[in-house]
Amino acid sequence: MKMLQVAIAILSTTLLLSSCTKKVDLTEKVLNLSVTSEVKGMDPIYSNDRYSANEVARVYEGLLEYHYLKRPYTLVPNLAEALPTVSEDGLTYTFKIKKGVMFQDNAAFPGGKGRELVAQDFVYSIKRLADPKLQGLGWWLLDGKVAGLNEWRDKNAAKDETDYSEVIEGLKALDSHTLQFKLKKQFPQFLYSLAMPFTFVVAKEVVEKYGKEFLNNPVGTGPFMLKDGVFKQTAKRFEYIKNPTFRKKTFPKEASDEFKAFLKDAGKPLPLVDKIVVQIIKEDQPRWLNFLKGKVDYVSVPKDNFETAVTPDKGLSDDLMKKGISLLISPSLDVTYTAFNHDVELLQNVDLRRAMALAYDVNEMNKLFYSNTALPAQSVVPPGIAGNMPDYKSPYREQDLAKAKELLAKAGYPEGKGLPELTYDCPSSSTSRQIGELFKKQMAAIGVQIKVVQNTWPELQKKITKRQVMLYGIAWGADYPDAENFLQLLYGPNKAPGANGSGYDNPEFNQLFAKAALMQDSPERTALYEKLNRMAADQAPWIYGVHRQNFTVKHGWLMNYMATDFESGQAQYLNIDLEEKKKTVGKL
Amino acid sequence: MNIWSYVVRRLLYTVPIILGVCLIIFIIFNLSGYDPAQILLGKHATAKQIAEVRAELGLDKPLIEQYFDIVKSAFTFDFGRSWASKQDIIEMIKEGAVPSLTLTFPAFIISTVISILLSLLVAFFRGTFLDKSVVIKCVGMMSIPSLAYILFFQWFFAYKMGWFEISGYEHGFPNFVPYVSLPIIIMVIISLGPDLRYFRTVILDDIYQDYVRTARAKGLTEKVVLLKHVLKNSMIPIITYVVIQLPFLILGTLLLESFFSIPGLGGLTVKAVFDNDFPVIKAMTILSAMAYVVFTVITDILYTVVDPRVRLS
Repeated sequence: MKMLQVAIAILSTTLLLSSCTKKVDLTEKVLNLSVTSEVKGMDPIYSNDRYSANEVARVYEGLLEYHYLKRPYTLVPNLAEALPTVSEDGLTYTFKIKKGVMFQDNAAFPGGKGRELVAQDFVYSIKRLADPKLQGLGWWLLDGKVAGLNEWRDKNAAKDETDYSEVIEGLKALDSHTLQFKLKKQFPQFLYSLAMPFTFVVAKEVVEKYGKEFLNNPVGTGPFMLKDGVFKQTAKRFEYIKNPTFRKKTFPKEASDEFKAFLKDAGKPLPLVDKIVVQIIKEDQPRWLNFLKGKVDYVSVPKDNFETAVTPDKGLSDDLMKKGISLLISPSLDVTYTAFNHDVELLQNVDLRRAMALAYDVNEMNKLFYSNTALPAQSVVPPGIAGNMPDYKSPYREQDLAKAKELLAKAGYPEGKGLPELTYDCPSSSTSRQIGELFKKQMAAIGVQIKVVQNTWPELQKKITKRQVMLYGIAWGADYPDAENFLQLLYGPNKAPGANGSGYDNPEFNQLFAKAALMQDSPERTALYEKLNRMAADQAPWIYGVHRQNFTVKHGWLMNYMATDFESGQAQYLNIDLEEKKKTVGKL
Repeated sequence: MNIWSYVVRRLLYTVPIILGVCLIIFIIFNLSGYDPAQILLGKHATAKQIAEVRAELGLDKPLIEQYFDIVKSAFTFDFGRSWASKQDIIEMIKEGAVPSLTLTFPAFIISTVISILLSLLVAFFRGTFLDKSVVIKCVGMMSIPSLAYILFFQWFFAYKMGWFEISGYEHGFPNFVPYVSLPIIIMVIISLGPDLRYFRTVILDDIYQDYVRTARAKGLTEKVVLLKHVLKNSMIPIITYVVIQLPFLILGTLLLESFFSIPGLGGLTVKAVFDNDFPVIKAMTILSAMAYVVFTVITDILYTVVDPRVRLS
């Protein structure tokens, strides 16, 4: 009987405790964010996925950033005093660094007080990215570009310990606040590298104090710092507070037309919120329910909730609108595609590729898998960046079965006769398989037989690298807002294991690309990009899919939010209208 | 035989088992043929950097040396760092084991106690409407996929009724209680069906034995017969069934942890497999094998406790 009494006591205490669900904090401005995947750590040189990059960018900063309120994306100084002076030959970039920027307080510094940022910190941070012992995942940004850096890397690969003291010709601190890069050859995209978290600045003392645990002890110059100072990778919740020693950085005073409304906060000191709570919520249902309860400020509309949240004319449902929720639609800088392996002889036949492109009904795919929200891709460069031609229609985009059959016969396979079964490799998710099945059905309409093969992600990557695929379905997201980042996917010298997984190698395309890649942003370069984009449509090296669009819903109390492909550092510009939140949250 | 010498002897058997486990995971890893360097470097990999990363990970060493590295890590518990996240693996496991246990251990205790008590009850009323309806309900409960319970309970009890947190976790007692209560209830409901049916079968096997008739003939009450005689004799299969589940409690529950954002070990191995993060796969496999051996020894010792006729040899 005693046992029973104890059991009842424990059970009732538990139920009592569990009934006390947490209330939404209305006493201070808390930004509640959800992310869909694990965050690896807080070391800038390993931040090669958007989740880790976003966390890194709350604490660390770089020389440059994208202007928060301007489109097209425009680089502006962040830790740099101004944009760099560039030498006439386009090879030397000299930056003046802001004075009085302090690293966050940490035990790694004498007396626990953060010291001032100097140009030598950037030299150290860039060398870390190039350190062969660390194998930073952003090395590709600088590989072969900065004078003397590759040689330094190669030399140190053979040594037991990397020698950071050696001066590198292309990477120098001219004085405490002047930094100079010398490039081996012109590379206008270089500046984008300096806005990416890979190149964000770290302090040598902190790296040396924490050693391998540096990735869990972030100390930057940024607007926020971890509440407990230590990053716990396995935790599914991270809390940040304002950095008390953050410099005087203010909300921008200029904006593109579409963001003029955000200028209410113009000139206010950043960051605008007191705290950030980041929760890792991998599954759609809990993320969506947390949003509806007001415990998360914004989310992408999950596929399964799309029809209840978004009306057929792409508006927001009345039910959500009544709750003060609004819908934001924004295109992603990406492209989905089915690549041909150009090492396979029969796929070098341009008529066969064109026939298959014409047999593919992108609209059906869009309807089935993206609820008709994506934009059919005409070629490789997505809308929103120079090189994309809004009015351009690819001759091989819209489904035309008669013409496809004609081209198939011209290719030497009338009604598919004589053509062996082609394999289509895709990742293992159910959606990828369904997309593969649709592709199979559509190709069967002209007599091309397809076998769909599913792979785990590592397996698919291995097959692509080893050239063991015929066709494969994949996507590419922008690293930076420049058509070069997309067109390089078809540049011959970038063949796998480089980014050109299809192995497309067209001398004319290669020559034009090599020329365009060295040019500064100009109408001439845009014209070249457009020419390359047209070639990429005409030669059908891939069957193009879609450019996806983000459908994000946000609560009325969240201010200054817009969906962007380059969201690192965004949190400092976001604001919470506490009065609005107090009014709304009780009704949710 | 002295119990301690038995334990030491059984634990020594662990050595060849671990060597075998190391060999199997080593062979599987090498046969799978994925290149971890390529996976780590992602979309910007170059042939040169792939070669450098392979060297950094020790993949260019002779195979025999790679095997001995695995064996060494198994015996020193130094599993190194994850290839994917660069985090210290033992720390990852330590930090994940506690949240997993706060969910699985209470659920395990509650479901085991409820199942045993209910199975005794239905065994007592065997063949009646109560017995039949409980068995039918068990089969019904087992037929519903666990995902359906999770989706419905989370939507209804956490979102609609607001009785529980929708998802999340906070460390330290009692902070974690609001977060794990609903997953515990779901886990109890999911395990109740199979547990109850199994225990009922075990008890019914015993209930028709001669000693039960003797006990009743002696005039013992049905409560004493069930709790003192039948239950004690049914303990051997029950212990086997229950104790062997214990290592898996530490490993957590993938779906529940994923849907309720509990930072446990549930998703760790699965994620490691998807990332081809060999050091994590290795650590989890070796530790699971060790836990399995240890709990088998505990099971054997418990046999002697519940049944003096069992001798350890």
